Amino acid sequence: MIKTEIYEQVIFETIKRGATEISKDVKLAFERAIEKETKQDAKKGLIATLKSMEMSKIRENPLCVDTGWPIFYFKVGNECELEGGFMELENATRRAVAKATEKGYIRATMKHPLTGYDPGNNVGENIPNFTYKFVDGKDIEIIYVAKGGGSECFGGTRHKVIAYADGVEGIKKFVVDCFVASTRAGAICPPSVLGVGIGGTANVAANLAKEAACLRTVGSSHPEKAFNDIEKELYKALNGLGIGIMGAGGDTSVLAVNVEYAYTHIAGICVATSSNCMVARRASTLIKDGGEVILQESPTWFDNRS
Amino acid sequence: MAEYHLVAPLKDSDVEKLNIGDVVYISGEAFTCRSRLQKYIFDEKNVLPVSIKDRNVLIHNGPIVVKENGKWKLVSFMPTSSIRFEKWGAKSVDEWNLKMIVGKTTMGKKTMEMMKEKKCVHVSPQSVSPNLWIDSIEVQDVYLYDELGRIEACWFFRLDDIGPFIVDIDTKGNNYFDALEQEVLKKRDEVLKSIGVDPDFEYTELYRER
Repeated sequence: MIKTEIYEQVIFETIKRGATEISKDVKLAFERAIEKETKQDAKKGLIATLKSMEMSKIRENPLCVDTGWPIFYFKVGNECELEGGFMELENATRRAVAKATEKGYIRATMKHPLTGYDPGNNVGENIPNFTYKFVDGKDIEIIYVAKGGGSECFGGTRHKVIAYADGVEGIKKFVVDCFVASTRAGAICPPSVLGVGIGGTANVAANLAKEAACLRTVGSSHPEKAFNDIEKELYKALNGLGIGIMGAGGDTSVLAVNVEYAYTHIAGICVATSSNCMVARRASTLIKDGGEVILQESPTWFDNRS
Repeated sequence: MAEYHLVAPLKDSDVEKLNIGDVVYISGEAFTCRSRLQKYIFDEKNVLPVSIKDRNVLIHNGPIVVKENGKWKLVSFMPTSSIRFEKWGAKSVDEWNLKMIVGKTTMGKKTMEMMKEKKCVHVSPQSVSPNLWIDSIEVQDVYLYDELGRIEACWFFRLDDIGPFIVDIDTKGNNYFDALEQEVLKKRDEVLKSIGVDPDFEYTELYRER
């Protein structure tokens, strides 16, 4: 049994860490991009961004002012027991989001979609949002993602159902064209971590794309060759467009392209994209059954894909 | 590409000399707005409760500001996407007599036309680096805090040489990103071919798009 006070504190700390600390894999990707960038203005922009991100950890302030939608992924052991049950896990998450907003770790960004009403704490209908995955064991992994508005609203997150006949060529064209459109004037804050979901119903493809963008380790590969080939091809292709940091021209336009898939109805293949902005904020913490807390460098969401 | 260190309030001569691709740093007084403020003023016909006569630098931004020992403290700051304000862009430039808009994603045709007519530029950051800016921004005051909420409110800032920002719309009707887009589109065809995709590939029409 994991006590409420433990998981509530972990959720709060995970939000703080995700919003204010650059992940190790993202930092590594930045260092590589700086090393190979040939356009001086772009190199300066990458260096300034990395420097600011490193300062955020010390100052305990957000890596970017737009901390976006607070979304949570729970990877839960089938035998996991939480004090108060899973409804209390969600209530504790809402309390932690409100507290993190009050402390200034995340911005009060969430509003009523029609009236613009601002609760001031990022808590409202369906927000924060929760996704679960069930695995063997008794532990729970808590993942917080700060999904920024730039990368979500300006064409970085789209879907299209294509005919089976249009196949891989159609999939790749859709991804390239979405990326070209959405990076104009730096709209989605490139260099992006680009997630691609292939197959399933539209919502499944969109969720896979989001998870690929936000939960995969930057620099990881899909274990199946056919999908890893698409990742490698698109990574090279998109970095050949010359879009660069904030779309102002440069050699690095994507930090990673991550593809995930689901089986599909042969009548149509849904292709979805989800872009994460360059700061690619998320944090993951594992709570063991006995209450031991382990800070993870990267989520394990996609370990042991079924 | 030239580099300029400008002091607000800006004069026509300050902005007329700027060309797309130039780099600017800005000092002096500025104010913030987001959609809620423009809707409140232009659609709901309210009046700004304070004069912005000598404040002609607008920053599209929803900052994180907290109160510490009775004083405002800026926690984070990053210019936000300007294109979503396009509906009110021309009106803002005209009625608020703006000389500079700081934002990202540039702006659309209607705003650009007004910017040309009224002599106003749009500038964008080339990094996401709030910590390199917040020490150079003093929070002077806030208006419409209760009416619009913390981030949609109109914040008054005093800037101390913050930048670098790239000029993406100048006073002559040029847009830095339009030119760059043409280069990217040229590369798009080569890039698609390199991964085995015909640049003119046509999708099977599963339904008629309306």
